[in-house]
Amino acid sequence: MNHTKLLRRCAASVAVALALGTLGVVAQAKTPDDQLIVGFSMNNLLSLDPAAATGNDVVELAANLYDYLIELDPQTISKMQPGLAESWKVSADGRSITLVVRKGVKFQSGNELTAEDAAWSLQRVLKLNLAMASPWKSYGFTAQNVEKAVRATDATTLVIDLPEPTDPKMVLYTLATSVSSVVLDRKKVMENEKNGDMGAAWLTTHAAGSGPFSLVEWRAKDALLMNRFDGYWRGPAKLKRVIMRHMTESQSLRLMLERGDLDVASGMSVPDIESMKKNPEAVVSPVRRGTLYYVAVSMKDPKFADKRVRLAIRNLIDYDGINTTVMPNYGVPQQRPVQMGLPASLPSPGYKLDVAAAKKLLSEAGFPNGFKTTIRVLADPPFINIATSLQATLAKAGIEASVLSGTGNQVYGAMRERNFEILVGRGGGGVEPHPHSSLRALVYNPDNSDAAKLTNFQGWRTSFFSPELNQLIEKAEVERDEAKQTAQYQEAQKLYEAQVGAIQPFSQMVDTVVLRKDVRNYFGHPSATTRLRDVSKQR
Amino acid sequence: MTTSTLRALGHRLLSVVLTLLGLLLLTFVIGRVMPLDPVLSIVGPDADRSTYDQVYQQLGLDRPLPVQFAYYLRDLLHGDLGNALLTGHKVTDDLARVLPATVELATMAIVLGTGLGVPLGVYAATRRGRLADHVVRVISLFGYSTPVFWFGMMGLLVFYAWLGWAGGAGRIDLAFDGMVAPRTGLLLVDSAMAGEWEVFRNAIKFLLLPACILGLHSMAYISRMTRSFMLAQLSQEYITTARVKGLSERGVVWGHAFRNILVQLLTIVALAYGGLLEGAVLIETVFAWPGFGQYLTSSLLLGDMNAVMGCVLVVGVIFVTLNLLSDALYHVFDPRTR
Repeated sequence: MNHTKLLRRCAASVAVALALGTLGVVAQAKTPDDQLIVGFSMNNLLSLDPAAATGNDVVELAANLYDYLIELDPQTISKMQPGLAESWKVSADGRSITLVVRKGVKFQSGNELTAEDAAWSLQRVLKLNLAMASPWKSYGFTAQNVEKAVRATDATTLVIDLPEPTDPKMVLYTLATSVSSVVLDRKKVMENEKNGDMGAAWLTTHAAGSGPFSLVEWRAKDALLMNRFDGYWRGPAKLKRVIMRHMTESQSLRLMLERGDLDVASGMSVPDIESMKKNPEAVVSPVRRGTLYYVAVSMKDPKFADKRVRLAIRNLIDYDGINTTVMPNYGVPQQRPVQMGLPASLPSPGYKLDVAAAKKLLSEAGFPNGFKTTIRVLADPPFINIATSLQATLAKAGIEASVLSGTGNQVYGAMRERNFEILVGRGGGGVEPHPHSSLRALVYNPDNSDAAKLTNFQGWRTSFFSPELNQLIEKAEVERDEAKQTAQYQEAQKLYEAQVGAIQPFSQMVDTVVLRKDVRNYFGHPSATTRLRDVSKQR
Repeated sequence: MTTSTLRALGHRLLSVVLTLLGLLLLTFVIGRVMPLDPVLSIVGPDADRSTYDQVYQQLGLDRPLPVQFAYYLRDLLHGDLGNALLTGHKVTDDLARVLPATVELATMAIVLGTGLGVPLGVYAATRRGRLADHVVRVISLFGYSTPVFWFGMMGLLVFYAWLGWAGGAGRIDLAFDGMVAPRTGLLLVDSAMAGEWEVFRNAIKFLLLPACILGLHSMAYISRMTRSFMLAQLSQEYITTARVKGLSERGVVWGHAFRNILVQLLTIVALAYGGLLEGAVLIETVFAWPGFGQYLTSSLLLGDMNAVMGCVLVVGVIFVTLNLLSDALYHVFDPRTR
C-alpha cells in the first residue's frame, strides 16, 4: 500500500469513529440494577478499625458495615433517632446516660448483639488509645476509668457515667457520629486477636459488624466490595452489592459517570462538577459539613500577638471574592467559629475586605510599610487558590507573603509544632452538631505552655489563649438550661469576635457528590454517616 | 568455567549487593530527613499527644537511626519488608499484588512500542531525508514530547467515552472482578489458564488503551534510537561492499545492518522497559490502574517508609537485572567486549 492510500484510510477511519461517537451511536454502558458503584479517592483510607480510622471516608463505610447506637437525621442533624439503642435517658444530674439496646439483633457472623458488645467496643477505643480515642478523652474517659464508666448492667442495658461534668447531649452526638462509637462483634474480633492487640491488626482490613452490608474485600488503593447482609435487623438493604473504586482523577470520574459506569462520584474538581450540572443524567448534591475553612495566624509570632495586626489580617481577607470565585462546590460563606444551622449560631458579622482600615491598623501597630511573612497551605484546590487570593490582598497593605505549599502532613505538622506564621486550612470539630464541638476544636486552649503539647486543640496550636473564653466555654458546656446555654454560646462567639481570635473562618465546608439520576434515596449525611441501606435504582 | 570468569562473576555479584545496600541506605536516610511524619498520617492532625507518642513508639521511631536501619536489614534478610501503613498488609504481599498489574501493562506497552518503533526507525533510516523520514521523526517527536497524562485523558475521551471501544478506569469490568483466582497476578495469563475467555477479552479491553499510550511513548524513543543506530551502520564500508556484491536492499538492511544494531537495541529496550515498570505513575492515575506506580506515589506522600523502601528495592533489582542482562548480551553477541 502506498503512503497516500494508507493516510487516506487512517483519516477515514478516524472520521467515522468520531462521527459515530458524537452521534451517540455507541450504546451507553449501565451499572447493574442492584449494585451501586461508587468512585472516590481512597487516599485517606488507611484503616477500617473504628478505634484508629480517621477522616470522613471511613465514617461512611462504618455507617454501612456497622450499626451506631444512635443515628442523626440527615435532614435535621440535631435530631437524634434510635439506632441499636431503642431509647436512652439522661440522669437528673446530667452525669449518667442509660441506653436500652435492642433485643434480637444479630451480627453478620450470626452472634447475638448485646449491650456487652457495645460496652466492650467503647472500652476498646480507650484501651487502645489510638486516633479515635480523642473525643472520649476530652470527656474525661481514660483507659483506666473506662471499664467502670462504660458498662453493661444486663444484656440490654448500657450505662455510661461521665467522668467529668459535660453536656450529655454532646456525648450522645458523639455516639451518633464518631466512627469510634460503632458496635463491634466482640467474639469475632477477639478470635482474631494477636499479641493482646484486641484485634487491632485484623480490624485494619476486616470488619465485624451488624450493619446492612458485610465487607467482602478491601484492596487498598484499588477497590472495596460490600455485600448485602440478609439477616439485617431492619430488613435487608435494597442493593445487593456496593462496590467502591479508588479513583483520584476527576476527569476519569466524570467520564465514567457520564457513560454510566459509575453511580456515585465524590471528590470531583469544580469544572467537572459544573459540567455535570448541565448533564440531564446526573444530579449534583452538595452536603454541608461542620468543618470550617479558615485563615490562622500564630500568636507565638510577636507580630500576630498584637490584636491590631490580627484585626488587619481579618480586614485583608477577600471574603466575597473567595466565596464567589474559589469556594463554590467547596464551601458556603461563614465567618464565625460555630457552624451555621444550630440554635446558638449567630448571623454573619459581615466582615469585608477593607484595605484602608487594615493599613491604618498596621501603622498603629508599628508596621506602616507592612512586613514579610509566609502562608502555609495544602497544595490542593481550593486551599492553594485561597492562599493566592490572600497573598494578593495582603500585598495591598504592604504585607509580602510567600506561599509555602505542601501535603496535609507537612502543613498541619508544622501547625502542631506551633511553627508557622499564617496558615490557610480547614478544621474544627463540627462533627457533632453542637457549638461545643467547634469551640473546643478551634478556640478552647486550657494551657498555653509549650510543654502542655495540646496538639489536638487548634487554639493551642495558634497560641490563642483567652481565660475568659475558656471559662465561658466550660460554663456553657455544663449548663443544663438550654436557653441559658444557647445565650452563653452566643456570648462566646461575640467575645471571640471582640478579642479577634487567631483563627478566622470564612467558609463552611461543603462536600459535593454527583449521582446518576436513577439513584434513589441517597442522602449525603453532614456527619458523613451516609447510609446506603435504603438506596436503590429506579429504571 | 575458568577461575577468572568465576572471579568476575563474584565481583559483579558483590557490586550488585553493594549497590542495592547503598540505595537502601540512601533512601532510608532521605526518608527519615524528609519533612513527612508517618505518625501524623496514621493518627490524623487532631490526635492528642499521648496517642501520637504511643504510635511513634509502636513504629519504632524512638530508636536511633542506625538501630532502625540495622533492624530493617535484619528483617530484610528474613524476607520481611515490614508492614505498610498504607494498606495494613505486609509490604511483600502488597508488592506481589501491585507489581503484576504494572508488569502486564508495561509488557504490553513495550511489545507495542518495540513492534512499531523498530520497523519505523529502520524505515526512516533507509529513507533518510525523504518525506517518510520526516513523518517518522515528527511522529516520534510528538510521541515523546507530548505528556503521557494528556494522551491518557484524550484516549479516555475518544476511545472510552465517545466510542466505547476501550474499558474505562481499572483493570477489568467490576462484574468480572474476582471471577478468576489470582495465580500469577497477571490477569491475561490467569484468565487464559482458567479458560475464562470472556474475562480474558474484557481484560484486553481495559489493557489495550493505557498500554497503547505508554507504548506510543516508548515507540517514539525506540524508533529514534533505531534510526540513529541504523544510520551509523548504513554509512559503514561493509554495507557498500555488500551492495556492490549485489545483495538485495532488504538483505543489506535486515541481514547486515540490523543484525549489527541488535545488541544496542536490546539495551535500549531493556532500559525503556525498566522505565515503564517504575514510571507508569501518570497513566496509572488516569486509568485508576492499581499498580506499582500508584502504590509508590501514595506511600511516598504518606511517608510510609516500609513501603517506599520495598519499592526502591524492587526498582533497584529491576534495573540491576536489566543492566546485567544487557551486559551479558553484549558479551555474547559482540566479541570485542570479551
